[in-house]
Amino acid sequence: MTGYELKLEKTFPYQRPPIDRGYAKQTLHLDLSSLDIAARPVTEQMKDLFIGGKGFDLWLLWNAVKPTTRWNDPDNAVCIACGPLGGTPAYPGSGKSIAATLSPLTGAVIDSNVGGYFGPYLKFSWFDALAIQGKSDRDIVVLVDGIDQTVQVFAAAGLPDDAYSLSEVLTGHFAQGKPRNISVVSAGPGARNTYFGCLNFSWYDPKRKRARYKQAGRGGVGTVFADKGLKALVARWDSGISVETNSPADRERLKKVAKLHSREIVELDPKQNEMAVIGTTHLVTIMNDHDLLPTHNFRFGQHREAPNLGQAVFRRLFDPGYDGCWMGCTVACSHGVRDFTPLTGPYRGRKVFVDGPEYETVAGCGSLLGIFDPHTVIELNFYCDAYGLDTISVGTATAFAMECFELGLIDARHTGGLELYFGNRAAALEIVHQMARGEGFGRLVGQGVRRMKGVFAEEFGADPKIMADIGMESKGLEFSEYMTKESLAQQGGYGLALKGPQHDEAWLIFLDMVHNFMPTFDQKAEALHWFPMFRTWFSLCGLCKLPWNDIIPEDNKGTPEPAKVMKHVNWYAEYFSSVTGRESAPEDLIRMSEAVYNFQRVFNLRMGFGRREHDALPYRAVGPVTELEYESRAERYDKQLTDAGKIDIAGKSTAEKVALLRAFREQQYETLKDAVYKRRGWTPEGIPTLATVKRLGIDFPEVVALLKANGVTA
Amino acid sequence: MIRVAGKEHPWRPGMTVADLLRELGGLQDDPVVRINDHYVSRPNFAETTIPDNAEVFLIPMIAGG
Repeated sequence: MTGYELKLEKTFPYQRPPIDRGYAKQTLHLDLSSLDIAARPVTEQMKDLFIGGKGFDLWLLWNAVKPTTRWNDPDNAVCIACGPLGGTPAYPGSGKSIAATLSPLTGAVIDSNVGGYFGPYLKFSWFDALAIQGKSDRDIVVLVDGIDQTVQVFAAAGLPDDAYSLSEVLTGHFAQGKPRNISVVSAGPGARNTYFGCLNFSWYDPKRKRARYKQAGRGGVGTVFADKGLKALVARWDSGISVETNSPADRERLKKVAKLHSREIVELDPKQNEMAVIGTTHLVTIMNDHDLLPTHNFRFGQHREAPNLGQAVFRRLFDPGYDGCWMGCTVACSHGVRDFTPLTGPYRGRKVFVDGPEYETVAGCGSLLGIFDPHTVIELNFYCDAYGLDTISVGTATAFAMECFELGLIDARHTGGLELYFGNRAAALEIVHQMARGEGFGRLVGQGVRRMKGVFAEEFGADPKIMADIGMESKGLEFSEYMTKESLAQQGGYGLALKGPQHDEAWLIFLDMVHNFMPTFDQKAEALHWFPMFRTWFSLCGLCKLPWNDIIPEDNKGTPEPAKVMKHVNWYAEYFSSVTGRESAPEDLIRMSEAVYNFQRVFNLRMGFGRREHDALPYRAVGPVTELEYESRAERYDKQLTDAGKIDIAGKSTAEKVALLRAFREQQYETLKDAVYKRRGWTPEGIPTLATVKRLGIDFPEVVALLKANGVTA
Repeated sequence: MIRVAGKEHPWRPGMTVADLLRELGGLQDDPVVRINDHYVSRPNFAETTIPDNAEVFLIPMIAGG
C-alpha cells in the first residue's frame, strides 16, 4: 500500500513506572478538537468502587458528559479500558478490552467487551483506560506507544477506508519489524453512515502472518468513533509478555490458579463444546433443536435447513490452528475462514481471510433473514467487519425490513427496487454495501429498527401497531439472536439488561427453560440478580465470560449451586486476590459488580432513561404476534392458557386465543419486573433506592440529588 | 462397545441416546450429548441411534453465546 500520509500533529511524552498489582494507575484523555492530551491519576476510590474495565469507562464517561449530551456532541467520549486482571497470559480469557460511549441507538450508555490486544497493550503502556472527546474535521490516527513512552497524534490522508485493509496497513506502518507489537482499533465506512457501527480490535497472528480482529459490536460505539474523525487508535507494546508484566501481588498464587483453570479447559473442551475447534457454532443446531434459533425475524425458533449453518459445516470451513484472541488463552475460539472469495462488493473475486463467523453472526445474518447458505453468511460477516458494522444489528434490522416488505407495509418503491423477501441473499448483501456507501434503502436500515419504525409509519404509511410488535428492539438496541418467547427469565435477561437486549448480561434460557432451575418469580429474580453480576464482573476485570460457564467441571452437578459453577467462581476470587492483593471471596465479586451495575442504571436515569417504561419489550419477544405463529405451536400455547392461565379456550378462535395469551404473558413479564426490581433494591419504577446506592458506596452528592429529583425518598 | 465420557459402555444394535441415558441413571438432565462430532439435543434423544464404537460426551449446557 502506498499513497497514504501520516503527518505528526502532536506528541505527548511520558515516563512510565511499572504496573502495580494489575493497575497502571493513570488514565489517558484526548480532545480531538483541541488536540489536548493529558494523563490523570487513578484514585484509590476509583479502584475500590469501579475496579477497572467497564467501571472505569463509566466513571470517565460520567465525568465527560452532561445530562443533555447527545451521542454526536463533542462532549461524548469513546472510552476504552482493560482491567486489573487483563493482560495475564496464563489465565484463559484474560485479554479483553471494554469500550463504552453514549449510544446513537439508545441515547444511553452502551458497553462492549472485545478481544484483541489493544486493552492490555494500552494498560502496559501506562493507561488503565482512555477517554477520547472532541471532534476533528480531518482523519486522525492516535498512537499510544508504550515502548517509546509517547502518545502521538497524526493527521491521516489516503489510508484505506475499510478495517480489513486499514488494520494491515497500520500494523505494517508502526510495527518496526515486529507486527505482534501492534494492535489497531478502527471502524469503517459503514460505521460512519449508520447508527450501529462497530469497532475492530486487532491482534497479529504470527502463524498466519496477518492482522486478525474481533469486534466491539453493540450499540454504535464505532459510529461515535467515526463521527469524531478518528480513523484509528494504535497501541504498541513489546509482545514478550509474561505473568510478570502485570506485576501480580502474588505470582506463585496466580500461577497455581491459572494452571488449574487453563488445564481444565484443555481437558474438558474437547469433551464438551469443542470451542477450540468450532467456536460457538455448536449452538446453531442446539438452539434449533430447542426451538430457540431465531428465524424470519424471530417468528419461529426452528427451521429444517438450519443444519446447513451448523457446526458440521464450519468444522470443515474454519482454518485449523490456534485462534486465541489473547496470548495463551486455551479456549481459543476466534476462528476464521481462509481464502474466502466474496461474490460481491469491492473485494469481489479476491481471496480474503474472514474472522468468524460466531453463533450470533450465523443466526443474525443467516437464519434470521431466512438465509441458510453458509457462503452468504461468511460474506456478510466479512463485509460487516470490514465496513465496521455490528452483525447483530445488521441482521436484526434487515430482518425487520424484510418482514415489513413481506407484510406489504413497505414495497419496492420504498426499497429502491430491492425485493426484500426473506431468503433473498443478493438483497441482504446489497443492503450492507448500501450501508457502507451511505446510500439507498440500506442507509435507512442502518438507522436501526426504532428509527425505521418511525420513518415507515410517518413517510410510508405503515401500521405502527404491528411494527411495535415485530420490531425487535428494546431501549433502541436491536435484539441479539435468541428466541425468548418460551423463557420468561430470558425475557427479563433481555428487557432488564442495562444497555438493551444483548445476551452478555444474562443468558438464562437453558437454566430456565431446559433445566427448570427457577420455576418461581422469586427464583427468576434471584437469577436475574446473580447472573448479571457475575457477567458484569468479567468486564470490570478485563476478562472473557466464556471460561466461567461454557466449559463446565465434571463434578459440577454434585455441587450445591450447579448453575453458578462455584468452582470457577472460587478460582476467579483467587485470581483477583493474587493479582491485586485485595483479598476477595466470591460474594465480594458480586458486591463489586453491584456498585458498577447500579451506577450504570443511575447513569441511564441521568440521561433520561433507566425507568420501568424503558424496560419494555416488543410483544414478539414475549409471545406469538400472529395467528400463524400461534398455530405453528398451538398445542404449547393452548396448554399454557388452560393450565397456567386457567382459561377455558373451548370454542375460542385463534385470534381470540392470541389475545388471551398476550394478556397473560404480558402480565407475567410485569410481575417479573416487580420481583427483579425488589431483588435488586430498586423502586417499583425501576430506580435504585437511596438505601441501595448508600449500601454500595455510590451515594455521591450528584447521584443522591438525581434520585431525589426522580421521586426516590428512601 | 461405546465410550461415554471416556468410560466403556456396552452397545447394542438400535440403542438410542434416550436408552443410554436411562442406563446411566441420574445423568439424564443433560440437554445435549455429542456422538463423535455430531451434537444431539434432548428433543431428539428418543429417535437418535448410537453407532457401535462411538465416542459419546454429555454436554451440560449452562450458558451459551
